Amino acid sequence: MKLLFNIFLIFNLSVSGFSDHNSSEVSLPLKFRLNGLSTQSAFDPARDKALETTAKLTRNNKLIAMGAIVSPQGHILTKASSCVGARIATLSNGEIFKLRIKKRDEDLDLALYQIISDRNDFPHVIWSENNSTQKIAWVLSAFTELNEIRVGITSAKPRKIGREGGVMGVILGNESSKGVRISEVVPQAAADKSGLQQGDVIQKVEGRMVKKRDQVVDLVGKKDPGDVVSIIILRKNTLEEFKITLGHRSVTFDLFNRNLQMSGPVSKRKDNFPMVIQHDLPLPKEAMGGPLFNIDGECVGINIARVDRVTIYSLPSEIIKDMTENLVKE
Amino acid sequence: MNIFSRVLLLIAPVIHADVVTVAAWEKKAPENTDDLISIQIRLNELLPQTQKALVSIESGDGAGSGIIVSEDGLVLTAAHVIGSTGKKMQVRLPNGKRAPAITLGGSEISDAGMLKITKGGPWPFIDVAPKNNSKVGDWCFGLGHPGGFDKERGIVVRVGRIIAKKNETMQTDSRLLGGDSGGPLFNFAGKLIAIHSRVSQKPDQNFHVPIESFHANWSYFRDQALVSHKSMQKGGFFGVSCEETELGLIIREVITGTAAEKAGISAGDILLEVNGEHLDSREEFIILISSLEPGEEAKILYQRENAQCSVKVKLGVRPQATEE
Repeated sequence: MKLLFNIFLIFNLSVSGFSDHNSSEVSLPLKFRLNGLSTQSAFDPARDKALETTAKLTRNNKLIAMGAIVSPQGHILTKASSCVGARIATLSNGEIFKLRIKKRDEDLDLALYQIISDRNDFPHVIWSENNSTQKIAWVLSAFTELNEIRVGITSAKPRKIGREGGVMGVILGNESSKGVRISEVVPQAAADKSGLQQGDVIQKVEGRMVKKRDQVVDLVGKKDPGDVVSIIILRKNTLEEFKITLGHRSVTFDLFNRNLQMSGPVSKRKDNFPMVIQHDLPLPKEAMGGPLFNIDGECVGINIARVDRVTIYSLPSEIIKDMTENLVKE
Repeated sequence: MNIFSRVLLLIAPVIHADVVTVAAWEKKAPENTDDLISIQIRLNELLPQTQKALVSIESGDGAGSGIIVSEDGLVLTAAHVIGSTGKKMQVRLPNGKRAPAITLGGSEISDAGMLKITKGGPWPFIDVAPKNNSKVGDWCFGLGHPGGFDKERGIVVRVGRIIAKKNETMQTDSRLLGGDSGGPLFNFAGKLIAIHSRVSQKPDQNFHVPIESFHANWSYFRDQALVSHKSMQKGGFFGVSCEETELGLIIREVITGTAAEKAGISAGDILLEVNGEHLDSREEFIILISSLEPGEEAKILYQRENAQCSVKVKLGVRPQATEE
């Protein structure tokens, strides 16, 4: 009897011991994951630098972009197309300042602001002297609340991103001597908002007769998102003119892109950059404009576009460093 | 000084170093910048040899990724990339060159797939990790051609850790995007441990096919057998639902009126073997059962409490799926 009891007990112990051991292994605790707090703390010196030199830019108490403090006088560099109307900068120590705009560079999609203050002791980024290399390297940025960082690696070759051009948001159909038929209008896109309909025939774009789909694409694509294009439409034997404010290709055709459907909000402008570094930090589109650092805490770039759920482009320091230093001096 | 003491002197410091130094990627978490740099250096060391065997897989209606595992051009990828067996596709190497390929087999259960380059060679290839070579917490890196081949961008590299693992599926926080599907996941020894399968809504919890699924069915997949939901329809039916746990393959439910119920199987039993073949995963069990015809006999070995029991059952017909 005694023997049986012992065996039973040992059996029980071993089973529970086994399952306990394994349940702790079932999934990796959050703190040890790539962006867990334990992993983040290995980035310590760089983390502090990232947090103290990144600013939150808000409009009506809503985060619209982040920025890099680039001078002791409190100049802040950020993404131009995201920060329109930015009024307030908040720093990681909780200090809040009003802002004034100094300069916009539409080509690079950058804007320079300055904190309204007499101080000249703001902690600011130190630009990296190393050019963006072909090697894979750790990078980090401050997260939106300026109390944590996000880490990841540069994930592809540094490269130029071509221009996309504006779009009306229509799918072109049959070609004829009268023009090009619209076979579909993308809901909520530029053409839809201006009143174009399925079945309309595009006869002229910017005053030029069009008979081929390629002609329409070329004429419209020469213009940028936000530009207005004039279209003559043949609808039920009458001609009508429409003025259409063009949209962004990537935003307009999101509906057709499965990857983007799962991505959450992405940046509107994510094309036409002379050079970008690609990385995979998990940051929302409101975090664009903020600085990107290497593990030594040097600023290697400015996050300029959230492209999809796992892709962010940054403008490398080598193309913005001199320009920024000159602007600050002005 | 004789030759033996010389050798000893030479190797002694190395042994000593091995004892005291733990590689940064073997720690619970990197502790400082030095550890992070070690991880970065290691990753850059492993990239050239692993990237050269990566392919972009192009079919008429989409693109995925894959990895060459033999000199004669056997490619591991995802089942949802190949779609069906005997289909002509093209692969593209990192230098942009294309080669014709034909789809072999795989499994829609684990999403494992195989493909063979049909012309040219010898091909650059990578080492496949043996069974049970990876565990939760291991550092890993993924390669792929998300959105298709892009020479300007090159191969996309991502790093992360294994956050959960079963023989049938693996989860990591290494990021994935459509088009990465079928691409390789390597450990920090440079060995292939999994194939990218599905993205999850959360970008830091993605799914991969563990290499164990390929090992368990290697010749079966290579001989153009595709375990599809359709092919399983025709195979034999046992009548249980089971789950892979630390204790083994546990039966969760026995469907009334099926072969399993008639054989006296009950919930909580642990499946061990089918016709003498050891079971590591739910997938292996399904493949073995559905490769038999309805009416055929299967010998099932299972464990109930402390005893192992063997039973011969006559398999039934799989009930028709009701969704269609």
